[in-house]
Amino acid sequence: MTKGYVMLAQNSEHDYVKQACLCAMSLHATNSDPKITLITNDVVPEEYVSLFDSIVEIPWNDQAAKSDWKVENRWKIYHASPYEETIVLDTDMLVLQDISSWWNFLSNYDLYFTSKVFTYRDEEVHDTVYRKAFIANNLPNLYSGFHYFKKGETAHEFYRWLELVMNNWELFYGQYVKEHYPKRPSIDVSAAIVAKILDCDTEITNSKVKYPSFTHMKPLIQGWTHNTETWQGRVGTYLTSNLKLTIGNHTQQGIFHYTEKDFVTDKIMNIYKKHLGL
Amino acid sequence: MSKGVLLFARNNSQVDYLKQAYWLAKRVDQYLGLPTSVITDNEDYLKDNFPDYESVFDNVIVTEYTNGFTLKRYYDGALTQKRLEFKNDTRPLAYDLTPYDETLLLDTDVVIADSIFNECFSQSNDFLIYKRAYDLAQFRDYTEFDYISDTSVDFYWATCVFFRKTSENKIFFDLLQHIQENWQHYNSIFQINSSVYRNDHAFSIAIHIMNGYQKGDFAGKMPGKLFYTTDKDELVELTDNSFMFLIEKEHHAGEYNVIRFKQNTVHVMNKFSLNRIIDKELAND
Repeated sequence: MTKGYVMLAQNSEHDYVKQACLCAMSLHATNSDPKITLITNDVVPEEYVSLFDSIVEIPWNDQAAKSDWKVENRWKIYHASPYEETIVLDTDMLVLQDISSWWNFLSNYDLYFTSKVFTYRDEEVHDTVYRKAFIANNLPNLYSGFHYFKKGETAHEFYRWLELVMNNWELFYGQYVKEHYPKRPSIDVSAAIVAKILDCDTEITNSKVKYPSFTHMKPLIQGWTHNTETWQGRVGTYLTSNLKLTIGNHTQQGIFHYTEKDFVTDKIMNIYKKHLGL
Repeated sequence: MSKGVLLFARNNSQVDYLKQAYWLAKRVDQYLGLPTSVITDNEDYLKDNFPDYESVFDNVIVTEYTNGFTLKRYYDGALTQKRLEFKNDTRPLAYDLTPYDETLLLDTDVVIADSIFNECFSQSNDFLIYKRAYDLAQFRDYTEFDYISDTSVDFYWATCVFFRKTSENKIFFDLLQHIQENWQHYNSIFQINSSVYRNDHAFSIAIHIMNGYQKGDFAGKMPGKLFYTTDKDELVELTDNSFMFLIEKEHHAGEYNVIRFKQNTVHVMNKFSLNRIIDKELAND
Protein backbone atom coordinates (compact mmCIF):
# COMPACT_ATOMS: atom_id res chain seq x y z
CA MET A 1 0.00 0.00 0.00
CA THR A 2 1.41 3.38 -0.95
CA LYS A 3 1.23 5.96 1.80
CA GLY A 4 1.72 9.68 1.69
CA TYR A 5 0.82 13.13 2.91
CA VAL A 6 -1.28 15.47 0.83
CA MET A 7 -1.80 19.20 1.11
CA LEU A 8 -3.84 21.55 -1.00
CA ALA A 9 -2.53 25.09 -1.43
CA GLN A 10 -4.06 27.98 -3.30
CA ASN A 11 -2.44 31.35 -2.91
CA SER A 12 -4.57 34.40 -2.29
CA GLU A 13 -3.24 37.44 -0.49
CA HIS A 14 -1.57 34.77 1.62
CA ASP A 15 1.17 32.48 0.41
CA TYR A 16 -0.23 29.04 1.16
CA VAL A 17 2.35 27.38 -1.07
CA LYS A 18 5.07 28.74 1.18
CA GLN A 19 3.23 27.31 4.17
CA ALA A 20 3.02 23.96 2.41
CA CYS A 21 6.77 24.08 1.73
CA LEU A 22 7.44 24.75 5.41
CA CYS A 23 5.14 21.90 6.42
CA ALA A 24 6.90 19.62 3.94
CA MET A 25 10.28 20.63 5.37
CA SER A 26 9.03 19.82 8.87
CA LEU A 27 7.89 16.39 7.68
CA HIS A 28 11.26 15.68 6.09
CA ALA A 29 13.06 16.84 9.22
CA THR A 30 11.22 14.45 11.51
CA ASN A 31 10.02 11.52 9.40
CA SER A 32 11.97 9.06 7.33
CA ASP A 33 11.52 9.63 3.60
CA PRO A 34 7.95 10.93 3.72
CA LYS A 35 6.02 10.94 0.45
CA ILE A 36 4.32 14.29 0.05
CA THR A 37 2.02 15.52 -2.67
CA LEU A 38 1.08 19.12 -3.09
CA ILE A 39 -2.09 19.94 -4.97
CA THR A 40 -1.80 23.43 -6.35
CA ASN A 41 -2.18 25.55 -9.44
CA ASP A 42 0.43 27.98 -8.13
CA VAL A 43 4.12 27.96 -8.80
CA VAL A 44 6.28 26.15 -6.26
CA PRO A 45 9.67 27.85 -5.86
CA GLU A 46 12.39 25.74 -7.40
CA GLU A 47 14.31 25.32 -4.16
CA TYR A 48 11.35 23.52 -2.58
CA VAL A 49 10.27 21.30 -5.44
CA SER A 50 12.42 18.39 -4.27
CA LEU A 51 10.45 18.25 -1.01
CA PHE A 52 7.50 16.85 -2.88
CA ASP A 53 6.98 13.42 -4.26
CA SER A 54 4.58 14.99 -6.73
CA ILE A 55 3.00 18.34 -7.43
CA VAL A 56 -0.36 18.03 -9.12
CA GLU A 57 -2.86 20.49 -10.43
CA ILE A 58 -6.24 20.95 -8.84
CA PRO A 59 -8.52 18.57 -10.73
CA TRP A 60 -11.22 19.92 -12.95
CA ASN A 61 -11.88 23.62 -12.76
CA ASP A 62 -10.90 25.89 -9.89
CA GLN A 63 -14.04 26.33 -7.81
CA ALA A 64 -12.28 28.69 -5.41
CA ALA A 65 -11.11 31.20 -8.01
CA LYS A 66 -13.35 33.93 -6.59
CA SER A 67 -13.10 32.88 -2.96
CA ASP A 68 -10.94 34.32 -0.19
CA TRP A 69 -10.96 31.20 1.94
CA LYS A 70 -10.09 28.72 -0.80
CA VAL A 71 -11.84 25.75 0.70
CA GLU A 72 -14.13 24.95 -2.23
CA ASN A 73 -11.67 22.53 -3.80
CA ARG A 74 -10.93 20.55 -0.67
CA TRP A 75 -13.29 17.72 -1.58
CA LYS A 76 -11.05 16.96 -4.57
CA ILE A 77 -8.18 15.80 -2.39
CA TYR A 78 -9.50 12.26 -2.40
CA HIS A 79 -9.46 12.16 -6.17
CA ALA A 80 -6.11 13.89 -6.57
CA SER A 81 -4.18 11.89 -4.02
CA PRO A 82 -1.82 9.43 -5.73
CA TYR A 83 -1.65 7.26 -2.60
CA GLU A 84 -3.70 4.33 -1.44
CA GLU A 85 -3.48 5.67 2.11
CA THR A 86 -3.40 9.41 2.62
CA ILE A 87 -2.92 11.75 5.54
CA VAL A 88 -4.32 15.15 4.69
CA LEU A 89 -2.70 18.11 6.39
CA ASP A 90 -3.60 21.77 6.44
CA THR A 91 -0.73 23.78 5.02
CA ASP A 92 -0.35 25.87 8.17
CA MET A 93 1.03 23.03 10.23
CA LEU A 94 4.44 21.94 11.45
CA VAL A 95 5.17 18.30 12.06
CA LEU A 96 7.47 18.21 15.07
CA GLN A 97 8.01 14.52 15.64
CA ASP A 98 8.15 11.18 13.89
CA ILE A 99 4.51 10.30 13.30
CA SER A 100 5.17 7.15 11.29
CA SER A 101 3.61 5.02 14.06
CA TRP A 102 0.33 6.87 13.51
CA TRP A 103 -0.02 5.08 10.19
CA ASN A 104 -0.37 1.77 12.05
CA PHE A 105 -3.23 3.15 14.11
CA LEU A 106 -4.89 4.79 11.13
CA SER A 107 -4.72 1.64 9.02
CA ASN A 108 -7.52 0.28 11.23
CA TYR A 109 -9.83 2.83 9.68
CA ASP A 110 -11.10 3.60 6.20
CA LEU A 111 -11.44 7.22 7.14
CA TYR A 112 -10.30 8.99 10.27
CA PHE A 113 -10.77 12.52 11.57
CA THR A 114 -9.30 13.98 14.69
CA SER A 115 -12.02 14.97 17.14
CA LYS A 116 -9.76 16.15 19.96
CA VAL A 117 -7.27 18.96 19.69
CA PHE A 118 -4.95 20.46 22.25
CA THR A 119 -3.68 23.81 23.44
CA TYR A 120 -0.01 24.81 23.44
CA ARG A 121 -0.04 23.69 27.10
CA ASP A 122 -1.08 20.22 25.93
CA GLU A 123 -4.53 20.50 27.41
CA GLU A 124 -7.57 19.25 25.57
CA VAL A 125 -9.54 22.01 23.92
CA HIS A 126 -13.20 22.34 24.82
CA ASP A 127 -14.08 24.82 22.15
CA THR A 128 -17.23 26.78 22.80
CA VAL A 129 -16.00 29.77 20.82
CA TYR A 130 -15.22 28.65 17.30
CA ARG A 131 -17.44 25.56 17.44
CA LYS A 132 -20.75 27.17 18.36
CA ALA A 133 -22.37 25.79 15.22
CA PHE A 134 -21.20 22.26 16.04
CA ILE A 135 -22.54 22.42 19.57
CA ALA A 136 -25.84 24.12 18.76
CA ASN A 137 -26.62 21.77 15.87
CA ASN A 138 -25.25 18.64 17.46
CA LEU A 139 -22.70 18.05 14.72
CA PRO A 140 -19.80 15.63 15.21
CA ASN A 141 -16.74 17.53 16.40
CA LEU A 142 -14.44 16.69 13.50
CA TYR A 143 -11.27 18.53 12.57
CA SER A 144 -10.31 18.08 8.95
CA GLY A 145 -6.97 19.84 9.46
CA PHE A 146 -5.58 16.39 10.05
CA HIS A 147 -7.44 13.47 8.57
CA TYR A 148 -6.78 10.16 6.92
CA PHE A 149 -8.41 8.06 4.26
CA LYS A 150 -7.82 4.76 2.63
CA LYS A 151 -8.94 4.60 -1.00
CA GLY A 152 -12.02 2.44 -1.15
CA GLU A 153 -15.75 2.44 -1.06
CA THR A 154 -16.18 4.02 2.37
CA ALA A 155 -13.91 7.00 1.84
CA HIS A 156 -15.11 7.43 -1.72
CA GLU A 157 -18.70 7.64 -0.59
CA PHE A 158 -17.78 10.10 2.11
CA TYR A 159 -15.96 12.34 -0.32
CA ARG A 160 -18.77 12.12 -2.89
CA TRP A 161 -21.09 13.43 -0.20
CA LEU A 162 -18.54 16.05 0.76
CA GLU A 163 -18.53 17.22 -2.85
CA LEU A 164 -22.29 17.47 -2.79
CA VAL A 165 -22.38 19.38 0.49
CA MET A 166 -19.55 21.75 -0.45
CA ASN A 167 -21.10 22.51 -3.82
CA ASN A 168 -24.51 23.12 -2.28
CA TRP A 169 -23.40 24.37 1.08
CA GLU A 170 -26.18 26.95 1.55
CA LEU A 171 -28.81 24.28 1.04
CA PHE A 172 -27.19 21.78 3.41
CA TYR A 173 -26.21 24.33 6.03
CA GLY A 174 -29.82 25.59 5.97
CA GLN A 175 -30.89 22.09 6.86
CA TYR A 176 -28.15 21.00 9.29
CA VAL A 177 -26.69 24.25 10.69
CA LYS A 178 -29.72 26.32 11.48
CA GLU A 179 -28.16 27.72 14.64
CA HIS A 180 -25.05 29.88 14.13
CA TYR A 181 -25.40 29.52 10.38
CA PRO A 182 -21.92 30.06 8.87
CA LYS A 183 -21.30 32.95 6.52
CA ARG A 184 -19.15 30.88 4.23
CA PRO A 185 -18.51 27.22 3.49
CA SER A 186 -16.30 25.41 5.95
CA ILE A 187 -14.62 22.09 5.35
CA ASP A 188 -15.00 21.13 9.02
CA VAL A 189 -18.72 21.91 9.07
CA SER A 190 -19.24 20.17 5.74
CA ALA A 191 -17.38 17.04 6.88
CA ALA A 192 -19.44 17.02 10.07
CA ILE A 193 -22.67 17.23 8.05
CA VAL A 194 -21.56 14.33 5.88
CA ALA A 195 -20.72 12.29 8.98
CA LYS A 196 -24.18 13.06 10.30
CA ILE A 197 -25.88 12.14 7.05
CA LEU A 198 -23.97 8.87 6.83
CA ASP A 199 -24.29 8.33 10.58
CA CYS A 200 -20.68 7.24 10.64
CA ASP A 201 -18.99 9.53 13.16
CA THR A 202 -18.20 6.71 15.59
CA GLU A 203 -16.53 4.82 12.74
CA ILE A 204 -14.36 7.67 11.57
CA THR A 205 -13.01 9.01 14.83
CA ASN A 206 -12.04 7.78 18.28
CA SER A 207 -12.64 9.99 21.27
CA LYS A 208 -10.66 7.71 23.58
CA VAL A 209 -7.25 8.26 22.05
CA LYS A 210 -5.06 11.30 22.37
CA TYR A 211 -3.23 10.84 19.10
CA PRO A 212 -3.46 11.33 16.15
CA SER A 213 -4.24 14.94 16.84
CA PHE A 214 -2.71 18.38 16.70
CA THR A 215 -2.08 21.50 18.73
CA HIS A 216 -4.63 24.05 17.62
CA MET A 217 -3.39 27.62 18.03
CA LYS A 218 -6.56 29.59 17.52
CA PRO A 219 -6.17 32.26 20.18
CA LEU A 220 -9.50 32.02 21.99
CA ILE A 221 -9.17 28.34 22.86
CA GLN A 222 -5.84 28.47 24.66
CA GLY A 223 -7.40 28.56 28.14
CA TRP A 224 -6.57 32.21 28.67
CA THR A 225 -8.85 34.38 30.76
CA HIS A 226 -7.83 37.49 28.85
CA ASN A 227 -8.91 37.37 25.24
CA THR A 228 -6.54 38.29 22.51
CA GLU A 229 -6.69 38.75 18.76
CA THR A 230 -3.57 36.74 18.06
CA TRP A 231 -1.82 34.09 20.08
CA GLN A 232 1.50 35.50 18.96
CA GLY A 233 0.59 38.65 20.82
CA ARG A 234 0.52 36.73 24.09
CA VAL A 235 3.28 34.13 23.93
CA GLY A 236 6.62 34.01 22.21
CA THR A 237 7.84 31.54 19.60
CA TYR A 238 11.29 30.01 19.91
CA LEU A 239 12.64 27.61 17.31
CA THR A 240 16.12 26.24 17.89
CA SER A 241 18.53 25.19 15.19
CA ASN A 242 17.74 21.56 16.00
CA LEU A 243 14.06 22.34 15.41
CA LYS A 244 12.85 22.26 18.99
CA LEU A 245 9.81 24.53 19.07
CA THR A 246 8.82 26.26 22.28
CA ILE A 247 5.70 28.38 22.60
CA GLY A 248 5.70 30.50 25.72
CA ASN A 249 7.42 28.13 28.12
CA HIS A 250 6.04 24.98 26.57
CA THR A 251 7.94 22.57 24.38
CA GLN A 252 5.78 21.49 21.47
CA GLN A 253 5.44 18.04 20.02
CA GLY A 254 3.22 16.24 17.54
CA ILE A 255 1.65 18.51 14.95
CA PHE A 256 1.52 22.24 15.52
CA HIS A 257 -1.30 24.07 13.73
CA TYR A 258 -0.13 27.67 13.94
CA THR A 259 -3.16 29.20 12.13
CA GLU A 260 -1.69 32.71 11.94
CA LYS A 261 -0.18 33.49 8.55
CA ASP A 262 2.60 35.74 9.83
CA PHE A 263 3.99 32.87 11.87
CA VAL A 264 5.91 31.91 8.73
CA THR A 265 8.95 34.16 8.71
CA ASP A 266 12.16 34.01 6.73
CA LYS A 267 13.91 33.13 9.98
CA ILE A 268 11.81 30.01 10.49
CA MET A 269 12.09 29.04 6.82
CA ASN A 270 15.85 29.45 6.98
CA ILE A 271 16.22 27.34 10.12
CA TYR A 272 14.46 24.47 8.37
CA LYS A 273 16.33 25.00 5.11
CA LYS A 274 19.63 24.99 6.91
CA HIS A 275 18.71 21.86 8.82
CA LEU A 276 17.78 20.04 5.62
CA GLY A 277 20.66 21.47 3.61
CA LEU A 278 18.38 23.12 1.09
CA MET B 1 14.91 5.51 56.42
CA SER B 2 14.46 8.47 58.74
CA LYS B 3 11.31 10.47 58.29
CA GLY B 4 9.93 13.67 59.69
CA VAL B 5 8.33 17.05 59.16
CA LEU B 6 10.32 20.14 58.28
CA LEU B 7 9.13 23.68 59.02
CA PHE B 8 10.60 27.05 58.15
CA ALA B 9 9.89 29.70 60.78
CA ARG B 10 11.34 33.19 60.49
CA ASN B 11 9.48 35.87 62.33
CA ASN B 12 8.77 39.34 61.04
CA SER B 13 7.83 42.31 63.16
CA GLN B 14 4.26 41.13 63.75
CA VAL B 15 3.84 37.49 62.81
CA ASP B 16 5.26 34.89 65.14
CA TYR B 17 5.99 31.99 62.83
CA LEU B 18 8.05 30.27 65.52
CA LYS B 19 5.01 30.08 67.76
CA GLN B 20 3.07 28.54 64.88
CA ALA B 21 5.88 26.04 64.32
CA TYR B 22 6.05 25.12 67.99
CA TRP B 23 2.31 24.58 68.10
CA LEU B 24 2.19 22.74 64.78
CA ALA B 25 4.99 20.37 65.86
CA LYS B 26 2.79 19.25 68.73
CA ARG B 27 -0.08 18.59 66.35
CA VAL B 28 2.24 16.72 63.99
CA ASP B 29 3.19 14.44 66.86
CA GLN B 30 -0.46 14.03 67.85
CA TYR B 31 -1.91 13.30 64.41
CA LEU B 32 1.01 11.92 62.41
CA GLY B 33 3.32 10.54 65.10
CA LEU B 34 6.28 12.12 63.35
CA PRO B 35 9.21 14.19 64.62
CA THR B 36 9.45 17.81 63.52
CA SER B 37 12.53 19.87 62.76
CA VAL B 38 12.39 23.63 62.48
CA ILE B 39 14.64 25.92 60.48
CA THR B 40 14.88 29.40 61.94
CA ASP B 41 17.07 32.45 61.98
CA ASN B 42 16.30 33.24 65.63
CA GLU B 43 17.05 30.41 68.01
CA ASP B 44 17.30 32.80 70.96
CA TYR B 45 13.67 33.79 70.58
CA LEU B 46 12.73 30.14 70.61
CA LYS B 47 14.77 29.48 73.77
CA ASP B 48 13.37 32.54 75.54
CA ASN B 49 9.73 31.95 74.73
CA PHE B 50 9.34 28.19 74.53
CA PRO B 51 11.42 26.65 77.31
CA ASP B 52 10.39 23.10 76.42
CA TYR B 53 11.23 23.54 72.73
CA GLU B 54 13.84 20.77 72.81
CA SER B 55 11.20 18.25 73.71
CA VAL B 56 8.88 19.55 70.99
CA PHE B 57 11.38 19.78 68.13
CA ASP B 58 13.53 16.94 66.92
CA ASN B 59 16.10 19.43 65.58
CA VAL B 60 16.47 23.18 65.54
CA ILE B 61 18.44 24.17 62.46
CA VAL B 62 19.74 27.71 62.52
CA THR B 63 20.25 29.81 59.43
CA GLU B 64 21.80 33.23 59.24
CA TYR B 65 19.57 36.13 60.27
CA THR B 66 18.69 38.31 57.33
CA ASN B 67 16.21 41.06 56.70
CA GLY B 68 13.04 40.46 54.75
CA PHE B 69 13.37 39.25 51.21
CA THR B 70 10.00 40.51 50.07
CA LEU B 71 7.14 42.61 51.31
CA LYS B 72 3.70 41.11 51.43
CA ARG B 73 0.22 42.33 52.27
CA TYR B 74 -1.19 40.42 55.22
CA TYR B 75 -4.92 40.62 55.83
CA ASP B 76 -6.58 39.94 59.15
CA GLY B 77 -10.13 39.51 57.97
CA ALA B 78 -11.56 41.37 55.02
CA LEU B 79 -11.06 44.90 56.35
CA THR B 80 -7.65 44.97 58.01
CA GLN B 81 -4.36 44.73 56.23
CA LYS B 82 -0.69 45.28 56.93
CA ARG B 83 2.35 45.31 54.70
CA LEU B 84 5.06 43.24 56.33
CA GLU B 85 8.30 41.48 55.59
CA PHE B 86 7.99 37.97 54.30
CA LYS B 87 11.10 35.87 54.76
CA ASN B 88 10.37 33.11 52.32
CA ASP B 89 13.69 32.82 50.53
CA THR B 90 15.18 29.86 52.39
CA ARG B 91 12.62 27.24 51.45
CA PRO B 92 14.69 26.10 48.44
CA LEU B 93 17.31 24.98 51.00
CA ALA B 94 14.94 22.34 52.35
CA TYR B 95 16.74 19.49 50.65
CA ASP B 96 20.16 20.53 51.94
CA LEU B 97 18.98 21.27 55.46
CA THR B 98 16.54 18.49 56.22
CA PRO B 99 17.85 15.86 58.60
CA TYR B 100 15.47 13.25 57.18
CA ASP B 101 15.62 10.79 54.31
CA GLU B 102 11.91 11.33 53.81
CA THR B 103 10.65 14.83 54.51
CA LEU B 104 7.23 16.34 54.73
CA LEU B 105 7.75 20.06 54.24
CA LEU B 106 4.89 22.18 55.59
CA ASP B 107 4.00 25.82 55.97
CA THR B 108 3.61 26.68 59.64
CA ASP B 109 0.01 27.79 59.02
CA VAL B 110 -1.09 24.33 57.95
CA VAL B 111 -3.28 23.08 60.75
CA ILE B 112 -3.01 19.33 60.89
CA ALA B 113 -6.30 17.70 61.82
CA ASP B 114 -6.01 14.21 60.36
CA SER B 115 -3.41 11.58 59.55
CA ILE B 116 -3.68 11.73 55.76
CA PHE B 117 -0.06 12.89 55.31
CA ASN B 118 1.20 9.58 56.67
CA GLU B 119 0.27 8.11 53.29
CA CYS B 120 3.17 10.04 51.74
CA PHE B 121 5.64 7.72 53.38
CA SER B 122 4.07 4.50 52.16
CA GLN B 123 3.79 5.36 48.47
CA SER B 124 6.47 5.12 45.81
CA ASN B 125 6.65 8.60 44.25
CA ASP B 126 9.70 10.51 45.52
CA PHE B 127 8.17 13.96 45.14
CA LEU B 128 4.61 14.95 45.98
CA ILE B 129 2.85 18.29 45.86
CA TYR B 130 -0.69 19.61 45.49
CA LYS B 131 -1.72 21.01 42.16
CA ARG B 132 -5.21 21.87 43.32
CA ALA B 133 -6.47 23.26 46.60
CA TYR B 134 -10.01 23.85 47.79
CA ASP B 135 -11.16 27.18 49.15
CA LEU B 136 -13.77 26.78 51.87
CA ALA B 137 -15.41 30.00 50.66
CA GLN B 138 -16.13 28.51 47.23
CA PHE B 139 -16.99 31.78 45.51
CA ARG B 140 -13.62 33.45 45.03
CA ASP B 141 -11.76 33.67 41.75
CA TYR B 142 -9.43 30.69 41.59
CA THR B 143 -7.95 31.26 38.15
CA GLU B 144 -4.69 32.51 39.68
CA PHE B 145 -4.24 28.99 41.03
CA ASP B 146 -4.65 27.25 37.67
CA TYR B 147 -1.49 28.72 36.19
CA ILE B 148 1.17 30.97 37.63
CA SER B 149 -0.07 33.55 35.14
CA ASP B 150 -2.64 33.55 32.37
CA THR B 151 -0.24 32.34 29.68
CA SER B 152 2.25 30.48 31.82
CA VAL B 153 2.74 27.10 33.44
CA ASP B 154 0.68 25.00 35.84
CA PHE B 155 0.39 26.28 39.40
CA TYR B 156 1.51 24.07 42.29
CA TRP B 157 1.16 24.76 46.00
CA ALA B 158 4.46 24.78 47.86
CA THR B 159 2.47 24.69 51.10
CA CYS B 160 2.82 20.94 51.60
CA VAL B 161 5.57 19.03 49.82
CA PHE B 162 6.87 15.54 50.35
CA PHE B 163 10.31 14.52 49.08
CA ARG B 164 12.84 11.80 49.50
CA LYS B 165 16.57 12.31 49.30
CA THR B 166 17.23 11.25 45.74
CA SER B 167 19.58 12.58 43.11
CA GLU B 168 16.63 13.80 41.06
CA ASN B 169 15.22 15.74 44.00
CA LYS B 170 18.67 17.19 44.68
CA ILE B 171 18.60 18.56 41.13
CA PHE B 172 15.11 19.90 41.71
CA PHE B 173 16.06 21.81 44.86
CA ASP B 174 19.30 23.08 43.30
CA LEU B 175 17.17 24.33 40.44
CA LEU B 176 14.84 26.00 42.94
CA GLN B 177 17.79 27.82 44.47
CA HIS B 178 18.89 28.92 41.02
CA ILE B 179 15.41 30.21 40.22
CA GLN B 180 15.22 32.06 43.52
CA GLU B 181 18.67 33.62 43.02
CA ASN B 182 17.70 34.74 39.51
CA TRP B 183 14.11 35.59 40.29
CA GLN B 184 13.82 38.68 38.12
CA HIS B 185 14.86 36.67 35.10
CA TYR B 186 12.43 33.80 35.72
CA ASN B 187 9.72 36.24 36.70
CA SER B 188 10.06 37.75 33.25
CA ILE B 189 10.54 34.57 31.23
CA PHE B 190 7.53 32.91 32.84
CA GLN B 191 5.31 35.98 32.43
CA ILE B 192 4.58 36.42 36.12
CA ASN B 193 3.13 39.85 36.48
CA SER B 194 4.46 40.47 39.95
CA SER B 195 8.03 40.94 41.01
CA VAL B 196 7.33 39.54 44.48
CA TYR B 197 9.08 36.22 44.95
CA ARG B 198 6.64 33.45 45.77
CA ASN B 199 7.61 29.87 46.54
CA ASP B 200 4.49 28.52 44.82
CA HIS B 201 5.68 30.13 41.61
CA ALA B 202 9.28 28.98 41.98
CA PHE B 203 8.19 25.41 42.70
CA SER B 204 5.82 25.51 39.72
CA ILE B 205 8.54 26.72 37.39
CA ALA B 206 11.01 24.14 38.66
CA ILE B 207 8.48 21.32 38.22
CA HIS B 208 7.80 22.49 34.67
CA ILE B 209 11.51 22.51 33.89
CA MET B 210 12.01 19.08 35.48
CA ASN B 211 9.27 17.85 33.15
CA GLY B 212 11.19 19.11 30.14
CA TYR B 213 9.09 22.26 29.66
CA GLN B 214 5.96 20.20 29.13
CA LYS B 215 3.47 18.18 31.10
CA GLY B 216 5.12 15.29 32.86
CA ASP B 217 5.19 13.05 35.88
CA PHE B 218 8.00 14.48 37.98
CA ALA B 219 5.54 15.59 40.65
CA GLY B 220 3.02 13.20 42.13
CA LYS B 221 -0.07 14.35 43.95
CA MET B 222 -0.10 14.71 47.71
CA PRO B 223 -2.68 12.46 49.38
CA GLY B 224 -6.15 13.78 50.10
CA LYS B 225 -7.21 17.34 49.46
CA LEU B 226 -5.66 20.61 50.51
CA PHE B 227 -8.36 22.84 51.98
CA TYR B 228 -7.66 26.47 52.70
CA THR B 229 -9.10 29.70 53.98
CA THR B 230 -7.57 33.01 52.94
CA ASP B 231 -6.37 35.79 55.17
CA LYS B 232 -9.65 37.59 54.52
CA ASP B 233 -11.34 34.86 56.56
CA GLU B 234 -10.84 34.21 60.26
CA LEU B 235 -10.33 31.11 62.30
CA VAL B 236 -12.32 31.81 65.44
CA GLU B 237 -12.44 28.46 67.17
CA LEU B 238 -10.50 25.22 67.11
CA THR B 239 -11.24 22.24 69.28
CA ASP B 240 -9.01 19.28 68.51
CA ASN B 241 -9.84 18.65 64.85
CA SER B 242 -12.96 20.78 64.64
CA PHE B 243 -12.68 24.27 63.15
CA MET B 244 -15.03 27.20 63.14
CA PHE B 245 -14.28 29.86 60.53
CA LEU B 246 -15.74 33.20 59.62
CA ILE B 247 -15.62 33.17 55.84
CA GLU B 248 -15.97 36.49 54.06
CA LYS B 249 -19.26 37.04 52.26
CA GLU B 250 -19.29 37.62 48.57
CA HIS B 251 -19.95 41.29 47.70
CA HIS B 252 -20.28 42.21 51.38
CA ALA B 253 -16.89 43.25 52.67
CA GLY B 254 -16.64 42.89 56.41
CA GLU B 255 -19.53 40.44 56.66
CA TYR B 256 -18.96 36.75 57.18
CA ASN B 257 -20.57 33.35 57.04
CA VAL B 258 -19.87 30.86 59.80
CA ILE B 259 -18.49 27.55 58.60
CA ARG B 260 -17.73 24.53 60.72
CA PHE B 261 -15.24 22.06 59.34
CA LYS B 262 -13.74 19.00 60.93
CA GLN B 263 -11.38 16.06 60.54
CA ASN B 264 -9.47 17.57 57.64
CA THR B 265 -6.21 19.47 57.58
CA VAL B 266 -6.65 23.12 56.63
CA HIS B 267 -4.20 25.74 55.40
CA VAL B 268 -5.18 28.77 57.48
CA MET B 269 -3.72 31.80 55.74
CA ASN B 270 -4.86 34.39 58.25
CA LYS B 271 -1.78 34.25 60.48
CA PHE B 272 -3.16 36.71 63.00
CA SER B 273 -6.32 34.74 63.67
CA LEU B 274 -4.32 31.53 63.80
CA ASN B 275 -1.97 33.04 66.35
CA ARG B 276 -4.89 34.20 68.46
CA ILE B 277 -6.14 30.62 68.55
CA ILE B 278 -2.67 29.37 69.40
CA ASP B 279 -2.29 31.95 72.17
CA LYS B 280 -5.56 30.82 73.67
CA GLU B 281 -4.54 27.18 73.51
CA LEU B 282 -1.04 27.73 74.89
CA ALA B 283 -2.47 29.79 77.74
CA ASN B 284 -4.62 26.85 78.71
CA ASP B 285 -1.70 24.38 78.61
